[in-house]
Formats: sequence, C-alpha cells, structure tokens
Amino acid sequence: MSSCGNPATEEQALMPRRLKFGKSKDCVRCRLKPGNIVIRHAVYCKECFTPIVDMKFRKALEPSVNARAGTSKRPKLKASGNLCLAFSGGLGSSITLDIVHNTYFSSRPPLDDLGKPRGGTNHPRNVSVWPSCLVCYVEVCGAFAGMHDRTEDIRSVVERYPSFEFVPLRIEDAFDGSWWTKVSGSNITPQVWLELSKEGLITDGLHVASKVTDLTPVEAMRSYLSSLPTQTAISSALQNLTRVLILHTAHSRGSSHLLFGSSLTSISISLLSSISQGGGYAIREELQEEWAPVAASGSKPNNVLRVIRPLRDVTAKECAIYAWWNNISVVGRDKQRRAILGIAALTKNFVVGLEKDYPSTVSTIARTCEKLEPKDVPSGQCRLCKRPMQSAIQEWKDRISIRSYSDDKLAADLAHIPSPCRGNLDTRTPPQVPPLLALTDFLCYSCHTTLTSRSSRGVKQSAPGVSSATPLPIWVADRGLHEDGLIGDGTRRKIPKEEMLDIVANFLINDQELRGMRYLQRFL
Amino acid sequence: MADTMTIKLVFSGGLELLFGNERNQSVLIPPLVPSDNSTHSSPSSSPSTPSSHNDILTGETKAADLEYLIYHLRDHLLKERPELFMENGTIRPGILVLINNTDWELEGEGSYQLCNNDEIVFISTLHGG
Repeated sequence: MSSCGNPATEEQALMPRRLKFGKSKDCVRCRLKPGNIVIRHAVYCKECFTPIVDMKFRKALEPSVNARAGTSKRPKLKASGNLCLAFSGGLGSSITLDIVHNTYFSSRPPLDDLGKPRGGTNHPRNVSVWPSCLVCYVEVCGAFAGMHDRTEDIRSVVERYPSFEFVPLRIEDAFDGSWWTKVSGSNITPQVWLELSKEGLITDGLHVASKVTDLTPVEAMRSYLSSLPTQTAISSALQNLTRVLILHTAHSRGSSHLLFGSSLTSISISLLSSISQGGGYAIREELQEEWAPVAASGSKPNNVLRVIRPLRDVTAKECAIYAWWNNISVVGRDKQRRAILGIAALTKNFVVGLEKDYPSTVSTIARTCEKLEPKDVPSGQCRLCKRPMQSAIQEWKDRISIRSYSDDKLAADLAHIPSPCRGNLDTRTPPQVPPLLALTDFLCYSCHTTLTSRSSRGVKQSAPGVSSATPLPIWVADRGLHEDGLIGDGTRRKIPKEEMLDIVANFLINDQELRGMRYLQRFL
Repeated sequence: MADTMTIKLVFSGGLELLFGNERNQSVLIPPLVPSDNSTHSSPSSSPSTPSSHNDILTGETKAADLEYLIYHLRDHLLKERPELFMENGTIRPGILVLINNTDWELEGEGSYQLCNNDEIVFISTLHGG
C-alpha cells in the first residue's frame, strides 16, 4: 500500500475503528442507566427499549384502524371488522402476536411455556378495538419432500393466547376447489391449466385450457411448482400462494385488517427482491395496501381489507432483542424452508450484511420505496398474485425484445454469420397465431416473468413421463373467464359492429340533440 | 497461572439447531490463548502441556477474548454448517451477540476480554417475519 507522503503521520498507524454508536454508552432516552443495546447508532437501556418498540408498532398500525380518519388527533379506535394475523412462526410474526395480544386483547393474559398467565400491559382505551382475532398459518410442508408438518407446533403457540382463533391452512389449498368454495361462495369451477413445453416448462405463450382434474391438491401444487423455470420462480410462487391464501381467508371471515409480521429488514429484502423480478409496479402494495377480491362484475366489494405491516419501522435486530427480553418463544422455520434459493436468498444475504455494517441504509431502502408510485392507473388485478396490473405489458415486451430471427432489426446482422451456421437459425416468418387461450393479458409483469423466465444455466432436464400441462391456482379461473374469452368453447367471439351499436345506442347523442346542446351553450 | 474460565452460552432464534439442539451450554476457556485463535489445544489442558508452553515462550498469546471464543465454538461445539455461524473470521451477519445482556457492540465486539461466569447469548435474526 503506498504512502500518502505526509511526513507528520506514522507510517504504521492504523485507522481507529469507527464506533457503531455515539460518544456515550448511556441510554439516550433516560440518560440515567448504561445502555444495553445499540440500534442504528443510538444506545438504549433494557427498560427503555421495549416501550420504544411498542410505540413504533402502534404508530404504524393505529392510524389505519378506523375506517375514516376523522379530525381528532387521538380518536377512539374502533375497527369495522375483526382482525387477522398472518403467522409464520418466525421472529416478526411471533412478536406481532404478542404485542397485539398485550395491547388490544389484554383482558386474558397470554400463557407461558408452563401454562401460567404472563403479565401484560392493560390499555383500557384499546380494549375491543376489534371484536375478535384470527391467526392464519399456512403449512408449506406439501411443497418440500420430507419436511415436517408444523401445524400442531404452531397451534400450541397460538393457544397460549386465549383470545385468538387459530385458522390453519395448507399451501395446497390453492389448488383445492372445496377451499375456494368455502372462501368465495362460488361453485367449483374447472381448473385452468397451462401448456408445457417438451422440457416440462411453461411456454412463453402462456396458453391455457380448462379441464376438470383428477389430481389431488398436493399433486396439482407439486406439478405447478415443478413446471416453474427457476428456483427464484419457485420462491416467488410460494410467497404469492401463501399471501393470496391468507388474503382470501381473511376477507371471507369478515376481517377489516390483516397484519403481517414483516420487520423493516424483511420489508427491505422483499422490496429489492420483488423489484429485481419485475414487481416494481406493485411496490406500494409490498408496504401497505387495501385489498378486496374483484367481483364478477368487475367492481370491488365494499368491505376492503387493510393489509398492514406494523413492524415496518423495527429492524430484525430490534425484533430479536425484543423477543429475547420479553421471553417470546419463536418456533422458527424448518431447515429446508430456511434454505431459500435464488434472488430472494442473494438479496437477503446482501441486506443482512448491510444491516451489520451500515444499519441506516436498510431503512433507506424502505423509505425510498415508500416515495415511489406508478405513473398510470392499474388496468386491473393480476389473476395470479391479485395485485395491481399495469397495462400494455405485451406491447412493451415486444418493443424491447426480438421475437424471431426474421425480425427486421436482425436482418442486417445475419450477414456476418458464416453460411454453414445460418442453417440453425429459423428465419421464416412465424405464422400469425391468433391470440387464443393466452393468459398473458391477465397477468402482471412480475407473474409473467415468474412463469416464463429462463435460467442462464439452461433448461432443466425433463423427467420421464412429463405432463403436457400444469394446473394453476384455483382462483385464476374465478371471475368468469368465459366473459374474458379465455375459456369456454376455446375461441374468442368478435362482436359484430351492428351488435356493438345496439349495446351503446342509448348512450349516443344524435344530431338533433347535438344541435340543441350547442344552442344552449350560447346562453351559458 | 489464573484458573480456567467457565463461560455460559445460550443459543436462540434457531441457532441451537447448529449446536445439537441444546440452547444452554457452557465451555471452559483458558485465560491465555494463541493470538492466531488456534484451537488445537484442549481448553482444559494444564499450562504445562507442550503446545501452550511453546506459545507462552514465543509470546504469541493474548487474553482470551470473544473472537477466540467464536473460533472455539466453531471448532469444538458446532455440529454442522459452520458457514451459518462464522464468516470472514467473525460471527456471521444476522447473528446478534449479547455479553451479560449487553450488545457486544458496546463491549468492543470480538476484542472483549472474557471473564469467569460471563454469559454469552447468540441469537439468530434470520428467521424473518
């Protein structure tokens, strides 16, 4: 290493290590006791730390409790429906469970490992904000061979909170018509199937067919996951399935609020991971959203579900310390489940490393994303992930990509390729396949990428006896795909001009009416 | 020569799975350890064993600190997946360390000198939401 040339310095001097906290080791809040924990360069003692996390939780949640904001600075909290907590057994959701119980359902204190009541803060003002609380858990062992079913372990954790109702779900419910009938009230619809290529992967065209399946929900779910092209796609698909299962369950049970236990660190990871997979359009929904299933008429029902992440200002480190100092037991995840792969894993490693060395940058990720919003109005709700969908995705993809070797953009470039090699290139103009039975226009860009992206390592080897089609989650077929022309007799019907005129005739202004309007305008 | 120190250990947040599923353990650490964090010599060895005697003669020792403890745990207690516990010579990012209920960042991190009956807690924060 070369010297800076300054004669006044010691050549062998080492730069002093930068402190990760301020000058003093005393608590910045009470200034009386020595600190026990460093959170983003601020030092807190144990007694001051817990109330700070509780305050952050309530500050993130309570402004969204009442259906209308009102004018009072401290309104009485009263929700329009019940509360639903999404519980994974992880750190954040365990803390969410505990804080919600202690703050809003504290008439019956939670039980410890020995079955004895634990202490809890009483807040009379906050009692009965929600009449009841559901705790939803989605068991994913069906997606991983040999994984242990933790439903009963999770049940035993939730049962320590007497006020909560445990609602167990399974990841394969997403392919179970009976579950769909229970949450949507609609009759079992034929499942939508996606065409697969000879390698067993979903084709780019996303061609679909409708048929009744004899596969069990587990088999259908495994078929769907095995048809996805990359590990990243599998991770994303599982996250989407889990989230949509909980959304529909919460909505069908009359919940007005759904809470996820995502910490600031988890949110930053999911934001970066989602954006890198084309999910930037739904970036606001990653933080907070008001959700409702779109009805057959295309309109949203009145009872929307507010999806909130009350730990969004609390880092993973704070969550860990809070759980430790408040004796909150964390079930954790199975070893196989912890081994997430793909972009999500890489992003997690990056953000966790960032949090260690530069803790403030983790919150910068979330704060910056909070300021972003899409330019245009959504064109609908994606059928797969149930998030807002941007318009004209296919046109944009066509503009930025070369779809065939007969494309004019490539014509001049082909001249440099030696003649013997050109034989491998199919330069014929592809036949104009009519846009029948394609799911493309009903998916957001992120879901489209999830289904069709290809790994740089090449196509996976096809298993013997690979199927020609794979089922999609049961909710894809909802909302009358017949009307959309996606399923039915298999063809789209072009409406004749005369029929279109009949439909809009009552809304057209004839010449006589137009003249009358112009005459009136002269007097305005 | 000062006596061997008893260090109490607690593993939480899923980290116990790497240590034979035992949340509470303890180890014996000598007061002086090799400066290069080598853990070849047994922790309960007496000062008269050849390896530690040579270290003392060469002067390449240091007071037992948290950095050495982490190497010791990796080499003697960890049952599987060392890469989930240590990275680049220190504790893996995402694992929180408490020394007697205080963040190790307030106690000098790896350079904190161990004392008899210290309680060191390792909590994994990697289990997400």
